[in-house]
Amino acid sequence: MRNSFNNNKIKLEEFEALIQLTAEMSKVLYPYIRQILQSRDDLIRNPKPWTEFKSRYIELISERFNTNSMKVKRLIDSSCNDEVFINILLTLALCISDDGSQKLRTILFNY
Amino acid sequence: MLQNKYLFNQSSVSLEIVGLPDYSNNENKDNISIISQWKLMIIDKPVIEGNLDHLRSIMKAFYFYSNSFLNDEIESYESDLIDIKSENFYTHILLLKSSKPNVKPLNITIGNSVFADIISCFDQLSSSNKVKNIYSKEYKSIKNKRNLFLSNKKSISKFLLPPLVSLISIFLVSSAFIYIYDDNDKFSFLNNKNILISIKSISKLL
Repeated sequence: MRNSFNNNKIKLEEFEALIQLTAEMSKVLYPYIRQILQSRDDLIRNPKPWTEFKSRYIELISERFNTNSMKVKRLIDSSCNDEVFINILLTLALCISDDGSQKLRTILFNY
Repeated sequence: MLQNKYLFNQSSVSLEIVGLPDYSNNENKDNISIISQWKLMIIDKPVIEGNLDHLRSIMKAFYFYSNSFLNDEIESYESDLIDIKSENFYTHILLLKSSKPNVKPLNITIGNSVFADIISCFDQLSSSNKVKNIYSKEYKSIKNKRNLFLSNKKSISKFLLPPLVSLISIFLVSSAFIYIYDDNDKFSFLNNKNILISIKSISKLL
């Protein structure tokens, strides 16, 4: 899906480190993640955080991912990507506990 | 006797635990091992409270529902005390059924942000050194989809029966062929033996 010709295979240690980093980042960023989720819950009264997050996320995907792929096309299609984005945010929001990295790892393995 | 009280907060949700330490186990006086009361307070929503069994049941429901929700498996969880189902991808409906008679079930609608706050409060409680006797690990363990599939006995029999039947049938058919082949083989071996004897006798004669 990535817009790169290099097929860099990730090592297990790197994968573990990335998971720990993501879990620690989600702890710090929880207030913002929560604000975006809350905005989506109440889109009529407070749409700004959700629309800003969504447009920036789509922008980043378009820059870095292969937009010719059907999966990526579906991901950047505003009409059907809400569920995926909510799932990503909720996964991060539920991994802010002390054993958050373990939880995140299990969720990713189950995905 | 003065009871201990601990509060676990996360944005719009706070969980209050009241109880006593287990003095028979020589526990620290600041700990809580015997939970007498708990309250889950969500802003703009009614207070949820009960005893230890209710807390365990609610924690189990929330963890189970969150795991299945993230894995796109089921969209509802039902138990004697609490039902959770998703109305859509950003609204969850809690139906709290009281254990007391003549008390109507309580319906609470929450969004993803409040849902995440509640899970965070439960995470704080289960990782706390002060409050013990929660046993939340069993609820928190996320079972792999494949393990869930294997844990279902019906699906195991469905999964194993066809290859097992095919293996048995292959074995039966092949064993019949081996029997026939052995007979032929013996026959051919005897023939070869006769030929060899005849060659030996010819060579002796010569």
